[in-house]
Amino acid sequence: MREHRIPNVDDDRLTLSGTRPAVCAVLAIAGIGMLVAGLVLGWNRGDELKGFLASYLVSFCFFLSISLGALFFVALQHLVHAGWSVTVRRLAEILAANTFCMAILFLPILGPMMAGNSSLYAWSNPAAVDADELLQWKQPYLNVPFFAGRAVVYFLIWGLMARFFLANSTRQDDSGDPGLTRRMEKFSAVALILFSLTVTFAAFDWLMSLEPDWFSTIFGLYYFAGAVVAFFATLILFALALQQVGLVTQTITTEHYHELGKLLLGFIIFWGYMAFSQYMLIWYANIPEESVWYLARQTGPWTFVSLGLLLGHLLFPFFGLLPREVKRRKLLLGAWAVWMLVVHWIDLYWLVMPTFAPEHLPFGLIDVCCILGVGSLFLAGLLWSARSRALVPVKDPRLDESLAFENF
Amino acid sequence: MDQAARETDSKQVAGLLAEFDGPQALKAAASGVREAGYTRFEAYSPFPVHGIDAAMGRRRTLLPWLVLGGGIAGGLGALLLQWWTNAVDYPYLISGKPWFSLPANIPVVFEAIILLSALAAFGGGLALSGLPELFHPLLSCARFRRATTDGFFLGIDASDPQFDESRTAALLRSLGAGETELYDRPRTEQKVPRPLVMAVVVAACLALLPPLWIARVRATRSASPRLHLVSDMDFQPKYLPQQSSPLFGDGRAMRPPVEGTMAVDQRGDDPHLLRGEVEGQPATTFPVAVTSDRMKRGRSRYDIYCATCHGLAGDGDGITSQLAFEREEPKWVRPLSVHSQVVRDQPVGQLFQTISDGIRTMPGYSSQISVEDRWAVVLYVLALQRGRHATLEDVPTELRRHLDTALQGDARTPDTER
Repeated sequence: MREHRIPNVDDDRLTLSGTRPAVCAVLAIAGIGMLVAGLVLGWNRGDELKGFLASYLVSFCFFLSISLGALFFVALQHLVHAGWSVTVRRLAEILAANTFCMAILFLPILGPMMAGNSSLYAWSNPAAVDADELLQWKQPYLNVPFFAGRAVVYFLIWGLMARFFLANSTRQDDSGDPGLTRRMEKFSAVALILFSLTVTFAAFDWLMSLEPDWFSTIFGLYYFAGAVVAFFATLILFALALQQVGLVTQTITTEHYHELGKLLLGFIIFWGYMAFSQYMLIWYANIPEESVWYLARQTGPWTFVSLGLLLGHLLFPFFGLLPREVKRRKLLLGAWAVWMLVVHWIDLYWLVMPTFAPEHLPFGLIDVCCILGVGSLFLAGLLWSARSRALVPVKDPRLDESLAFENF
Repeated sequence: MDQAARETDSKQVAGLLAEFDGPQALKAAASGVREAGYTRFEAYSPFPVHGIDAAMGRRRTLLPWLVLGGGIAGGLGALLLQWWTNAVDYPYLISGKPWFSLPANIPVVFEAIILLSALAAFGGGLALSGLPELFHPLLSCARFRRATTDGFFLGIDASDPQFDESRTAALLRSLGAGETELYDRPRTEQKVPRPLVMAVVVAACLALLPPLWIARVRATRSASPRLHLVSDMDFQPKYLPQQSSPLFGDGRAMRPPVEGTMAVDQRGDDPHLLRGEVEGQPATTFPVAVTSDRMKRGRSRYDIYCATCHGLAGDGDGITSQLAFEREEPKWVRPLSVHSQVVRDQPVGQLFQTISDGIRTMPGYSSQISVEDRWAVVLYVLALQRGRHATLEDVPTELRRHLDTALQGDARTPDTER
């Protein structure tokens, strides 16, 4: 008979004590270097930075989605008074705190718009607005100052919420005050309402308005579903990476990976549900102003990307993650997590790029520069937040429940 | 002797029940019993004890496979049903979608997968647990009732090859059992009462009558009026034509029109205008003024009502017709070209009558297009015919030079075509 051994948090190494600010600085400089390289490549294409900005937007939205998924997870765990997730919650709090980092990374999108470059969003181009009556009607919402103002509000809300959860949770590491937990639980319901509204409108602003004539009310949920998938994949990889270097080896057990795998699978199905709901209604109604968006994605090489998403983002991982054993083997689960991050990036690429390149797949060196650049900066922010902090909420009142957690 | 044999027969030991202190003790005992080689035993507790399956050495349940099978059967069945009904048995065109279009079928497939997997989980769970079971020997133990409140029990069935009354009891005590108790097969065979069986049989027979009656009524003819289950719509409190009514002095329910009432179309009966007839023959002249504006009006009506079948230029190649040929509709007849000789020979009155009343498979349009507009369409059809068969002389002199360049590339002139 398999006896369930309850791990002891005192046996474990719990802090990234080796991380010095220098590591973060090197990563940040490397990231900025990659982005500058991408910028130079984009400049040389002579398309008013259209290619670079579009590619940057994909990578920005990709890494932002990880932080947003983490914020959702943390608030949700508090809302439902979850016990099992305590040992992985600090990692999610650190991931969510990176929304501050993402706020700075939004400047390359906002800056050129403020400076009059309208190659990314057609509605920011006065000539295009004059020619299109629909855009004139949408002008009260889609204009650069309001767009910038909304972005500030989104990042303020996300940043403050993430800060609130991380700060209170860290304070509990010293005091062990259960009142802090109660406080976070009380706030979590408000946090989730604010979260759902801001994520919906952020997705409308940054991704849906790329084609300002087109609209889909479920679009925010679609981005959210992908974000949560990306977050669970990242959290699994984050924990695996930490355990590789000998941290949290006792506290995060197979049972936690199993649970994360289940949630990953669940949100993959949720993503499929959202994607199909959006497609089904637009396909059935067959109204030209709506179906034009899918038409671009069903012609030429984008057809294969669309079908690839159906298989790679839904059907393959569905059957791949279904067996219990897959979710309990770190190597297999980690492989699926990497796979999901790759297809999530393709998903965002598929949302953005057909607007700018309907005829061909524009994947190239610029995309690589943007992924590595934003990725390095994201990682730098992550290590900076993680440094000098316990990677597990060591005095959380539900820690023992989480350590004893077992799947049956 | 006989009596004693019957006594032992009817009072067979069915198994041994042992009580334990709590879930941990129960788990340990289950583990010990399994290691001693027993296979037919069961643990009973007021709540699910995590890990008891592993302790008892139970194999993983077959249920997930049943659910998967149910889900696959539901999905494929729903897909097959939709394919057969929509694409084979009763093809029905819906907003130009293909007969068998997968996206529309997904929701039903999805729901059917959920329905059949849920049913498989429910039915499979019951069947694998051996339920429903009307009676179990353990229910005769008074002690066992506590299994639903605070008792933790292990029951070893007497049919287990290892079972021996004293040795098994000793084993259980060594594993920490508080009390052990032998339980017996029931003295009398527990049977469903005979009157109940009879009642169920009678009810089942009676339940067959309504469907049989419905089947008979559906298959036979009858002169008597049908049964009015919901009579509200069949018998309405209202007057029908030619009935009498006490409300009015003359006793008629139908009221004559008020003095001076006129028909909606106040032009009276003008056969030329309304029916395109002059002295019983199709008219050869227009009853309305022939103007350029009227022709333009006719064009706009033609493009709305006629062009879908007859084509914008009147060749009988409208999109409906093209689609019908693409789909090889068996009953489709190609609409006549308005440029064919048989149409060109028709007097305007006959064209008007065709538009008003329809011909062959073409429906009449008198309810959709007003009288004046129908004449306007006739005028536009004449214009189309004339345009197709025009000669150079028909073109105003100041516009001819535009034609020269256009005609150079095309050897056919309107004259040679005729």
